[in-house]
Amino acid sequence: MGVMSVAIESDVCVIGGGLAGMTSALAAAETGASVRLLSHKKSTLRQASGLIDVLGYTPAGEIVAEPFEAMGSLPNHHLYQRVGSQAIHDGLALFDRVVGESYAGGHTSANALVPTYVGRIKPTARYPAMTAAGLASDRSPVLFVGFERLSAFDAPYVSASLSSDGMPAPTRGVTISAPGSHRPDTRLHRLVHALDANESVSTSTGEQPIRIALARRIESHLESAQRVGLPALLGLENAPNVRRDLEQFLGVDVFEVPMGPPSIPGQRLEHQFLDALDRAGVHRATGNPVVAFDADGDRIRRVFTDRNGSSVPYEATQFVLATGGLVGKGLDSDRTALTESVFDCHVPHPEDRTEWYGDNPHTDQPFARFGVSVDADLKPHDDSGSPEYDNLRAAGAILGGTDVTMELSASGNSLTSGVRAGRLAGERSN
Amino acid sequence: MSDTEDTPSFDPVTVFESTEQDLRSGSDDCYKCSTCDSVCPVASVDSSFPGPKFQGPEQWRLTRKEDTEIDDSIMGCSNCMRCDGACPSSVPLSQMHNTARGAYVENQRFVRSALAALRSGELRRGASIVRDGVSDLRERIRNRLLANYYTAGRFASKLPRVANAFTNFGPTRWLLERVLGITSERSFPSFATQTFREWWTERGGAQLENPDKRVAYFHGCYANYNTPAVGKAMVRVFESFGYEVLVPQQRCSGTPMFANGRLDDAKRHAETNVESLAEAIADGADVIASCTSCSMALRQEYPELFDLDGIDSVGENTYEALEYLRLNEDLEAALAETAGDAEEFAYHAPCHARNQGLDRQAVELFSDVDGVTIEDVGDSCSGISGTYGWKAEKYDYSMAIGDTMFAEMEAAAGEQGMTECPTCAMQMSHGTGYSITHPLELLADILIEEQSASSNG
Amino acid sequence: MDTKTEVLVIGGGSTGCGIARDLAMRGVAVTLVERGTLTDGTTGRMHGLLHSGGRYAVSDRESAAECISENRILREIASHCVEPTGGLFVSKPGDSEEYFERKLAGCSACDIPTELLSAEQARAIEPYLAHDIERAIRVPDAAIDPFRLCVANAAAAREHGARIETHAEVTDLLLDGDRVVGVEITHSNDNGMTGSTERIKATHVVNATGAWAGQIGAMAGVDIAVRPSKGAMTVMNCRQVDTVINRCRPKGDADIIVPHETACILGTTDVEVDDPDAFPETQWEVETMIETLSELVPILDEARTLRSFWGVRPLYEPPETKTSDPTDITRQFFLLDHADRDGLAGMTSIVGGKLTTYRLMAERISDHVCDRIGVDGVCRTADVALPGSENPMHLQEAMESFELRSPIARRSVQRLGSRSSSVLSTSDPNPVICSCEAVTRAELEDAITEVGTDLNAVRIRTRASMGNCQGCFCAHRMAALLHPDHTVETVRTSLEALYEERWRGQRHALWGEQLSQAMLTRYLHATTMNRAQSQTESSPTVAFERFDGGDERGD
Repeated sequence: MGVMSVAIESDVCVIGGGLAGMTSALAAAETGASVRLLSHKKSTLRQASGLIDVLGYTPAGEIVAEPFEAMGSLPNHHLYQRVGSQAIHDGLALFDRVVGESYAGGHTSANALVPTYVGRIKPTARYPAMTAAGLASDRSPVLFVGFERLSAFDAPYVSASLSSDGMPAPTRGVTISAPGSHRPDTRLHRLVHALDANESVSTSTGEQPIRIALARRIESHLESAQRVGLPALLGLENAPNVRRDLEQFLGVDVFEVPMGPPSIPGQRLEHQFLDALDRAGVHRATGNPVVAFDADGDRIRRVFTDRNGSSVPYEATQFVLATGGLVGKGLDSDRTALTESVFDCHVPHPEDRTEWYGDNPHTDQPFARFGVSVDADLKPHDDSGSPEYDNLRAAGAILGGTDVTMELSASGNSLTSGVRAGRLAGERSN
Repeated sequence: MSDTEDTPSFDPVTVFESTEQDLRSGSDDCYKCSTCDSVCPVASVDSSFPGPKFQGPEQWRLTRKEDTEIDDSIMGCSNCMRCDGACPSSVPLSQMHNTARGAYVENQRFVRSALAALRSGELRRGASIVRDGVSDLRERIRNRLLANYYTAGRFASKLPRVANAFTNFGPTRWLLERVLGITSERSFPSFATQTFREWWTERGGAQLENPDKRVAYFHGCYANYNTPAVGKAMVRVFESFGYEVLVPQQRCSGTPMFANGRLDDAKRHAETNVESLAEAIADGADVIASCTSCSMALRQEYPELFDLDGIDSVGENTYEALEYLRLNEDLEAALAETAGDAEEFAYHAPCHARNQGLDRQAVELFSDVDGVTIEDVGDSCSGISGTYGWKAEKYDYSMAIGDTMFAEMEAAAGEQGMTECPTCAMQMSHGTGYSITHPLELLADILIEEQSASSNG
Repeated sequence: MDTKTEVLVIGGGSTGCGIARDLAMRGVAVTLVERGTLTDGTTGRMHGLLHSGGRYAVSDRESAAECISENRILREIASHCVEPTGGLFVSKPGDSEEYFERKLAGCSACDIPTELLSAEQARAIEPYLAHDIERAIRVPDAAIDPFRLCVANAAAAREHGARIETHAEVTDLLLDGDRVVGVEITHSNDNGMTGSTERIKATHVVNATGAWAGQIGAMAGVDIAVRPSKGAMTVMNCRQVDTVINRCRPKGDADIIVPHETACILGTTDVEVDDPDAFPETQWEVETMIETLSELVPILDEARTLRSFWGVRPLYEPPETKTSDPTDITRQFFLLDHADRDGLAGMTSIVGGKLTTYRLMAERISDHVCDRIGVDGVCRTADVALPGSENPMHLQEAMESFELRSPIARRSVQRLGSRSSSVLSTSDPNPVICSCEAVTRAELEDAITEVGTDLNAVRIRTRASMGNCQGCFCAHRMAALLHPDHTVETVRTSLEALYEERWRGQRHALWGEQLSQAMLTRYLHATTMNRAQSQTESSPTVAFERFDGGDERGD
């Protein structure tokens, strides 16, 4: 017993449910292919800021205002050079279709400057509409508002730090206590949910909807500010309404400063992509890891997910590997070696572990470039330079060769490689 | 351990006495991303709940062997296990919660420690232990009652009509809330006049024998005492595919016991289940459950929490009913030839189905059936989490969690609901007034009517 | 600037702080200077074992006897720094039985209580011990936090009038003929004195710089032949054992596991180095420790390590001894009276020794110094509890009064001891800033009040940033606490210093989970915060007008 006879079939099977995997699945579905998306856990979108960076810095460390003009500064092996700028545009276009009005930045080819939650200024290509009023290049006065219990976002410091970085707008920062009764360790999502549901809270002037109670607490600090910046926690499904209610009460623009894990903008983005996958008819199976596969010469025939010892086969003609890098666990490592976790694709890395890292925590770190190496068709290569499998492509953080953290290009790499790998897989499967 | 013979100059360190399980190494996997907190339904409505990251890897990592006290916030966890499915780093979160909860409940047994304190002359400490213990007593009795639905069901099924009248009788409910803290907002599920097992015996057991296709049905408590229609549908569907169905001896899967920290009770029941299911597996059967919490318990919690002969084999050979058919039969082809009855369903995937990777299967399967419209109402938790929503102090949280699902159900085209989980079904029905169908019931309707129709024609 | 003191102590490690406390309690005016922060040298880079003396019971009974006696004293006077874990000497197949017997006999001769355990009994205490261990000896080893111990000694010295000056490097000794009459220091702290020098006149100078003693000696032309020896230690993410585990065999690398706070520390190696400030940190040392100690506790092989660090033992032997193997050099301490030894009056150096006997060493040095400066004073350091250990606080009380979750209250109270109430009783919301180590804002603010903007000094007092994330999620929160008392520039510099220090040790643990953690940290700090590029940016002024000015059509 337990021998499975019937595999679950599709034209394209994408492994990995992060930004690159979901983009691949959508791009493949657009070609008319039937698509299966396998993912193990929640994606790393919930860890990222929700900003879509394409290229923020050149290899020489210069800030980039026009990413497409700066592509020339990138080395030849860079993904962007390999696949060309049309693929980058395609990736952004797919993204824009998925997010619609909820993101801004698509009106220009230039990067925008967005404040970060530790008070630095960051170049990015697409930003949530929830963040749009916060651009650092805007000159209108800003009030940053933080919360006593939320130590990650220190509004007075954010304000001072942005000023010191030359942000042209006058800024102030104030820390208030969030409406409602909370303990010091109440989770961030409690406040997010309360704002989403516009729960009633008790205040000194009686019961009030929490959005109004919050606006009232901000109001007394407003002075001449024309914009109010809050940490990114203004609701999930109803975020636009939360912002609208605050803006209407305060009579000024309200924006969110994106924060790192748990990232509410990332969670919203994940939902938008999942909805798009449903609309595109992509079939999803989530919760079990891909642990094995069957290959027939240079073609992968099927992969198997595992649930505590029982396994489920998924058959497809084309596969996309989008399992992520060291954080998403597409890469495994131990004291001696680094491996790709599903197909054991070749991952170039120094044998000597002391060469995996450098001494300065910020600058050049070889481990940040670990990943599979691919050709222009995004097929992972073995150590002799030929494709590992004829029907396997890779996308997203599993790709090696570039330190996307230093050049601020992680999302751009995922969208670009995702759309290309997905489209090629879809076309080849027909 | 005989380490007290000599040198009493320093005391032996106690080994995690109450649980015998040291899960600190599970914190090795945690890189602190808080994704677990971001999916926790309780943390988003209950300001006093510090979330799964604290309850799991952080609390365990901060623990030393001599620490016996578990923070009482562990009892805020509803055991929905969504954190397990979320963690990108595979921290054994629910195992940590279950073990800590078990230790917490064990610590609530105050009589022994009070006596020990009194014997050693610590009168004040003894008195305070008794005081705290008594104040917890009501909660403990209530939780024990809720956890042992199996026993309640067994008694109620003897006289189902009386039980139904009594349990939903106003004064009874008032008393249950006042005395035990069981919310009076909900109606108790009604007990069937004939249990599934009674029906099974009456029909003479399996209708066909097939040593090559044999399944052992783990019906659990609910399909036995309350919704035998689900169990009957399972039998009809599997027999229609030529399976020999076994209905082995069984007790509660343990799910409500885990959620209430009653690991000893759960283990007692697990011993019976594992023994009889392992025997069925040895006879060539795979184990099929229709309740996703039961299959979750057999697959994941059993091997994580207990060390019993055959327990791994039970975990590896257990499947949810639809999952099994899909893997072993060409279910899609069978369904392609059928047609439903112009029915529209708002489908909710139970958290425990989600954790087994089954959250989309019903939607995928039925969406291609002519005449059936099935709409996924999203990935929120229903909020009831088994016994959680029955506790008076949790009722409001339970409903606040459920609000998202209720709204999605109302927005969906269908005026009836569908889910695999009996308590999610209660919550769906409680929040919307819809009647709730199990996917097996729909499958039986479609397939078997179709088959009988085609054999007639 | 010129100042005066009676005794000037150079070196803010356990020895220096112990001497400062001892002398101050005898009524002597003391100034202690430390070039970095307290414990920066050897003290902060050890495995945190409070010896029972068992380790020396075969080779050096005098040391063993001193250890057990000091062990008993420290449990009393430094209870908030000591965790009475107990220790096991474990023997594996092939380990000498004769040595095992000599260990037992040696302990007994030194009044070290022992208990002979079968393998089953040992595993009942520590379930992760290897299945093939043969037997074990139980001894009263303990874990000690060297940071807290040192800080408490410095605090006690200050209470008795001492001046403790950190970030003050001795740049010269002041000589008057063949007499040392003080020191010149250069300040590098952030209280406005950075870069300034100060001449401190002193009746007597104590050189308590351990492995660096030779460098101080050289300033006065005396030769102190310290033979610094490095030892590697690897920090595990969590505790695999709650008892100190020693391999019962003669000296060797990688033979001890010490449970320390939330972690276990594996030790160690022993390799002589030329320069205590610059020596190679090699990978083989880390591998050896994990592989060798996995023989005792097999799950170590797969367990996550957070970092490795190296300490330098201040070994010394009289020049004529010429021991070739550093592991054979005695662990005894030496008091070098430079008047007798080199004809240089006014200075005493102390070299060798170990943390467990720091108090005894301080007592002997203080006796000697008092004798030299003509002070009659009696040592009281063994009888008076250190600040923080005066009134051990009951945990239950702590939890109820501070509204903290039980494990957070437990760890906070263990760190703060009798200072818990004054530090944690706050009417402001007191969120946990470092969730790995359960450090609340109130505790961090207290540490900042004490030490200023040096976040590494804050770290050693509180343990903030020492857990699994190694500062990923808390370093910036800690830094922000410095604002608005300090400028944005200071906040950034302090954050960088902490971040770099965390990186230094973490580099040696970059595989498996810690490599994932490092990558997540990099994404967060470089990408979401945009700290990396901002930190190193070539053109500090951004041409804002070249960027997206917002979509005028509205959103």
